[in-house]
Amino acid sequence: MRKIERFSVLEYFVRSLFGILAIVLLSVIMLIAAIFLLSDQPLTSIASFFAGPFSSLYAIGNMIDHAVPLAIGAVGIALAMRSGNMNIGGEGQVYAGALVTTIVALALPGWGLTGILVALAASMLVSGSVATLSGWLRERWNVSDLITTFLLSNIIILVVDYMVAYPFVDPQTNLISTRFVDPSYHLLIILPPSQLNIALCIALVCVLVAHLFLYRSRTGFELRMVGDNEEFARYAGVDHRLYRILPMTLSGALYGLGGALAILGTYHATIKGFSAGMGWNALLVALIARFKPAAIIPAALFFAYIDAGARSAMFYSDVTYEIAYIVQAVIFFLISSSILQRIALGRRRV
Amino acid sequence: MTAAVRMKSITKIYPETQKRANDQVDFTLLPAEILSLAGENGAGKSTLMKILYGLISCDSGEILVHGQPFAHPSPIEAGKRGIGMVHQHFMLVEEFTVTENVVLGEESTAPTGLLDRRQNRQRVAALIEKHHFSLSPDDRVMSLSVGQKQQVEILKMLMRDVNILILDEPTSVLTQLEIDSLFTTLRKLQSHGVSIILITHKLHEIKNISDRVAVMREGRMVGVYETAEVSEEDIARAMMGDEGLSVVRKERRQLNLDPVLSVAHLSLIRHNQDHPLLDDISFTVHPGEILGCAAISGNGLGQLESVLLGNLPVSSGEILYHDEVLTSVHHTATTRKRGIPFVPSDRLFTGCSLSAKVSDNVIATSRKRFFPPFNVSRKEIESYTSHLIETYGISATPSAPIGTLSGGGIQKVILAREIERIRDLIICCEPTWGLDVNSTAFIHRQIVQLRNDGVGVLLISSNIDEILALADRLLVFSRGSVSARFSASQMASLTKEELSPFLLGKKRMEVEGA
Ligand SMILES: Nc1ncnc2c1ncn2[C@@H]1O[C@H](COP(=O)(O)OP(=O)(O)OP(=O)(O)O)[C@@H](O)[C@H]1O
Ligand SMILES: [Mg+2]
Repeated sequence: MRKIERFSVLEYFVRSLFGILAIVLLSVIMLIAAIFLLSDQPLTSIASFFAGPFSSLYAIGNMIDHAVPLAIGAVGIALAMRSGNMNIGGEGQVYAGALVTTIVALALPGWGLTGILVALAASMLVSGSVATLSGWLRERWNVSDLITTFLLSNIIILVVDYMVAYPFVDPQTNLISTRFVDPSYHLLIILPPSQLNIALCIALVCVLVAHLFLYRSRTGFELRMVGDNEEFARYAGVDHRLYRILPMTLSGALYGLGGALAILGTYHATIKGFSAGMGWNALLVALIARFKPAAIIPAALFFAYIDAGARSAMFYSDVTYEIAYIVQAVIFFLISSSILQRIALGRRRV
Repeated sequence: MTAAVRMKSITKIYPETQKRANDQVDFTLLPAEILSLAGENGAGKSTLMKILYGLISCDSGEILVHGQPFAHPSPIEAGKRGIGMVHQHFMLVEEFTVTENVVLGEESTAPTGLLDRRQNRQRVAALIEKHHFSLSPDDRVMSLSVGQKQQVEILKMLMRDVNILILDEPTSVLTQLEIDSLFTTLRKLQSHGVSIILITHKLHEIKNISDRVAVMREGRMVGVYETAEVSEEDIARAMMGDEGLSVVRKERRQLNLDPVLSVAHLSLIRHNQDHPLLDDISFTVHPGEILGCAAISGNGLGQLESVLLGNLPVSSGEILYHDEVLTSVHHTATTRKRGIPFVPSDRLFTGCSLSAKVSDNVIATSRKRFFPPFNVSRKEIESYTSHLIETYGISATPSAPIGTLSGGGIQKVILAREIERIRDLIICCEPTWGLDVNSTAFIHRQIVQLRNDGVGVLLISSNIDEILALADRLLVFSRGSVSARFSASQMASLTKEELSPFLLGKKRMEVEGA
């Protein structure tokens, strides 16, 4: 008995790993094919794409730094998805988190660590509330969270754009941007000269805590129960209404945290549209990781690698950044189709 | 004469569990015969039929359909060869109407290419009429009882002109009347040349309907008999090997304790229904007794279960656990929050989470015990699950998804889980749905044991044999109200024949009390 069991768990693991590797491989092949089609100097392009992100400590650090908000956002998505909720309003929630942090930092200059904590808490509160609203709307009136998160996010983006362009704009620069936060708010750089900072540690902690929460706590267990089969969860006495709201709150708060850390660690000011794509990309990372916290770190790094590769290829050869979108689209397509398949199979097995 | 189906040396090992579900199985189906496929839970019956239908592939072996090799089986290919399968577990679109489910894939379309709703509806209505099913073409599947859903599955096959029909435990959820009409349908199909494979655990059905019976045990085919030449005991012995049949003994007990569960004047009224779904229901369950509730499906048992589960708010009346109100007009049942053990009739979607591990399913109703509120090691969970698996004789591993167990295996896990948490009350709805003779006897022994230990048991079942075998007192439901009550002394001599006019609503008792 025991032996069979171990064997099969291992086999499961190998199989799912194999599936992911196959997807990664396929998308890399597509990428190379695209470069051959689009570039006049395909070999240079390929070299700069794959090697570029590793060319210096600076490049490596920045690549990892880019993965940080994605990973944090993805943890939030994973919590929402595992409980059967949807939060696709990441774009707005990240952006809002960034602006709130900036405002707090500008309002409380020189507060240092306390200020940082206040700023992070405020961001999580604001973004978390926005997502909570969507959860509540679904709980109360069965309004689709898919739609409300998305629409709310669009509104928020416009509001933040306005705030950045008018009340908080820094007249000293040509960018549409707020003023820079003072250096007491800058997170500690851990790999100079790159921008990699201790936000990385926060991301790792988030992943670890989310993993323990999901698999080792009663609340996490109930959350997964509701996501797997709400009918069963209700039968088992789980307060399913709580789990339409709580995971949304958590995912919103984590998006907010991602945005806030991007400001304090990397950008130091809210520049109009600076976070565009972060929300969607975090969703993609969560999908690649199949909503398993432990898989989010490699997924986020892979994603950041593709992004950095495309930037480097764009810089050193004649391809454009859009090449990254091709890879992302291929991955997205393959992953989501296999997820759909799994959902279909899961319902049909027995 | 070429056989309708010939399967040679079929072997199937499930990779997830390394379970040899079929081991060199040979199987033949003759033209226009009704063949019963029998075997205990987990014997591999569903697996063999899924292979024939092309749902899963076998590791080795050969299949011939009407003498032609069936080399690349898939459900689509099977459909082309005229093979149809009604699954043990329904495969219906809950949100669709009966008509939409039945015509799915075979829709009539208007010349514009759009669905011809009226035409579709008429085809389905005609079919329902012809086979005397108790369905309306416009009902949404999610509002149907389990028995009615089964009928929809059968309708789907009838719509498709199959000549080889596989029915995986079609009768386990049907009432006697529905079974009779199903059998009439099957005989009619047989006379039109359709070959039928019927999986069932009920021995008298095997005797009643089939020409031959094939018996499987632990993945092997252990014998094929002409039904007329074997007795029910012979079949049972072939299924179980050397283990004997066990019988449930009831010893009557004297009761004079306060009730554990009281239901008082419970009514459920819906405006779109011409009669109340539940009409002034009152009863009590005392410690140390089994109170049976029997009815033909669609007569209120389903609603009673939903109310007890807290899925339906009541229109009046209340439910008490000792002195504590579980349900009233103002709030729906807290049965589950109070942790009262409950075996639901819908084991697949209410009673478990198919994609979750067996162990997670087992601890799902004892969350406080295993996560107080954190638990860093899963060891305790695994060992508790292993313990249950062993005690209840379930063939499973704790870490496998529960969806990979056989139908009976899932039911046993649910029962084990609920029985282990018992204090003084358990509510069991259709507890032996789809269980083989042996497991049924096992479950019945468990239920009787609970009662002897002083637990109050509310047994809601449409299986009349089960009710007669177990219940100390009995309520009969018809059209949402109680049509008869039988006291302990009356139960001793009660027969099926005496019961049936009450079940059918032709007779009503004007007695109070119980
Ligand atoms: N998808 C699966 N993955 C792994 N093991 C499986 C799977 N399906 C069935 N099994 C195992 O194969 C064995 C045979 O299962 P099968 O469903 O064929 O039994 P059955 O004879 O139909 O039983 P029942 O009467 O309970 O429905 C069981 O031990 C079961 O646990
Ligand atoms: Mg079966």
